[in-house]
Amino acid sequence: MNLNIKADKGQTYDAIVVGSGMTGGWAAKELTEKGLNVLVLERGYELKHVEDYKTAMKDPWEFEHRGKISNVAAEEHYATMYFSAKEGSQYLYTNDKENPYIQKRPFNWIRAYHTGGKSLLWGKHTYRWNSEDFLANTKQGIGIDWPIRYEDLAPWYTYVEKFVGISGTREGLAVLPDSYFLPGMAMTAPEIHLKKSVAQKMNRPITIGRVAHLTNPQPWHTALGRASCQFRNRCSRGCPFGAYFSSLAATLPAARQTNRLTVVHNAIVKEIILDDKAQKAKGVRVIDQNTMEVREFYAKVIFLNAGTIGSTSILMNSKSARFPNGLGNDSDQLGRNLMDHHLAIGARADIDGFENDYFFGARPGSLYIPRFRNWGNDKRNYLRGFGYQGGASRADWSRGANESGFGADFKKKMTQPGPWKINLSGFGEVLPDPKNRFYLSEDQTDKWGLPQVVFDADFGENELAMRKDIMNDGAEMLEAAGFKNVVPYDNPVAHMGLGIHEMGTARMGKDPKTSVLNKFNQVHACKNVFVTDGSGMTSASNVNPSLTYMALTARAANHAVEQLKARNL
Amino acid sequence: MNRREAVVQTALILGGIFSASTLQAMDRWEQLATHPRAHSATSAFLTETQREIVARVADLIIPRLDTPGDTSPGAIDVGVPNFIELMLRDCYKKPAQDAFLTGVVGLERKGFLSLPADQQTNSLKQLEADALKDTAPTFWIITKELTLLGYFTSEAGIKASFDYQPIPGKFEAIKIKPGQKDFMYGNQA
Repeated sequence: MNLNIKADKGQTYDAIVVGSGMTGGWAAKELTEKGLNVLVLERGYELKHVEDYKTAMKDPWEFEHRGKISNVAAEEHYATMYFSAKEGSQYLYTNDKENPYIQKRPFNWIRAYHTGGKSLLWGKHTYRWNSEDFLANTKQGIGIDWPIRYEDLAPWYTYVEKFVGISGTREGLAVLPDSYFLPGMAMTAPEIHLKKSVAQKMNRPITIGRVAHLTNPQPWHTALGRASCQFRNRCSRGCPFGAYFSSLAATLPAARQTNRLTVVHNAIVKEIILDDKAQKAKGVRVIDQNTMEVREFYAKVIFLNAGTIGSTSILMNSKSARFPNGLGNDSDQLGRNLMDHHLAIGARADIDGFENDYFFGARPGSLYIPRFRNWGNDKRNYLRGFGYQGGASRADWSRGANESGFGADFKKKMTQPGPWKINLSGFGEVLPDPKNRFYLSEDQTDKWGLPQVVFDADFGENELAMRKDIMNDGAEMLEAAGFKNVVPYDNPVAHMGLGIHEMGTARMGKDPKTSVLNKFNQVHACKNVFVTDGSGMTSASNVNPSLTYMALTARAANHAVEQLKARNL
Repeated sequence: MNRREAVVQTALILGGIFSASTLQAMDRWEQLATHPRAHSATSAFLTETQREIVARVADLIIPRLDTPGDTSPGAIDVGVPNFIELMLRDCYKKPAQDAFLTGVVGLERKGFLSLPADQQTNSLKQLEADALKDTAPTFWIITKELTLLGYFTSEAGIKASFDYQPIPGKFEAIKIKPGQKDFMYGNQA
């Protein structure tokens, strides 16, 4: 390897942000807007908003495989098969074959090594945590207590939500606190029927999915070039309208407007450089992914936003006399308590009737059924809970493969809207478990000489017990609405990682002996290093995590700048 | 779990609610039609006769219609036969390829191409009935899925069949109109 190290004064910034995705974009925006000169290091190639969404405007017949992934592509994307199994979005997923990892137990590590990262892959469902989510660990004696409460994060939720743009409807539910909303999307007729039936018979609320799409763009959205959702539901190919939130469409352009943003691509952060005397980080050492050149960059503050596995790996790789087991790893918790959400389970049904009901447009969202188990007076034989996404629509031509018949009448039938079908798909909370972990291989490296990641994690008894309820409760609600042929389902191939919500491997906590980060996402023993992606999560809740990551990032960036001004960093 | 359930579940992981063959896909036919060399480069999979059988089967599944109420191209018109072959080579694994070939050879032995039209149709009805009993992929289900996919995602097939709306601009619940064609949004890739 070429170890020609360039280290000159031109490589010094106020802050370095590692990663340009969901939280890296937020760190860049907040820090630049507060006056800092910020360097964003992205390990992947440069992906330009709009112009590089090369499949976004293609018609179905323009795809070589009409959407299906080829055998060759399937082999290259083994971790992502269920998500990249579409020809139009495959280009946004990292080639797993070229970026191997080790599965001591099965794990789907889904990556997006390019500008914007996984903010171009996300499902856009955007929910606040509730008060109990921050209290459950300490009430139940699971893991460690969160060092913050809902009230600490609430103003930051609001702050982030306004900028992101989230469509949804106010419900006033304690279990699913309302956000700052743009107008919610419509429901189809059978969905409205389900909502009424489940409310009347089971006293469970159903709301329209809260998704990060601009349904009524505000001036601060359009100022960044973002436009209203066009209801194409081609989001997974990249949105040329900037209608769904991504760092490419929103936070990075905002940061760029300050003229204080520098982005360097192809820069894989190998390690954080520690100033042993000051017990502070002074910079990072990076490897150019193409030239293998090693460079150093310096800053007063470092934000790790490389994705949970990426950020935690960087800490693990940053060994020194003070931190022989990885930066900030005095607690031995680094890499442990790996969580995700468990999914690919629920119930589906056929719907009789509603023949005269139809819908126009492709909705990039679904219904949402908030958690009802272990909530209020409900008590189950497991801890925590789950929610559902799902919806009802009319089957299209592709139903024909599962119907008998062929020929002229069959052909004509397939051109007309098919019968209604409905699916409810559960997303359950995963408990923190120190035995669920990843670590760095001692003998296997990648092509840059960095140790490969080894995953050793799986769902536990609590998750498996919960899954029975996810199926049965889903089926019960569909039956309550009078739907036919109700089928509960549980896909056994859904390993950890498939939720792409990996989190928890550098958890926040009050006590440096049991946690890696403090209540402002600072490494306990190295306060100018902030980790504000999923790494810091002390528990997982059952709702999608991106909003909470973003709120934590904005809050941490604010704290970093306050501390810099007070000369504490 | 039989194959069909497995595929449906794969679709469900994606939050989809439609039948699974949505995931079956592909087409190079337009390229092949305009670049004969590309065609020959991918033509070793089937013999000339077998290719004619596949084309005939596809056209029986989706025939050309030329009636006062319905004028639309058929599977052969939009290049489905080449599409099927390309899909099998690029996107299907060996067991499915073998099952497909077994089915084609079976029809070849029957002298399928020289049967009168009604007997060809009856042969396919028999294949369909047999396929229902089979949990493994069969020639019939593969051919039917790929014919539907190749036809209903082709430009001519879409324009003749659906109300194509690449940029709907809104989402709303509506009432269906008499003779309503299904909307297509082109988001399945």
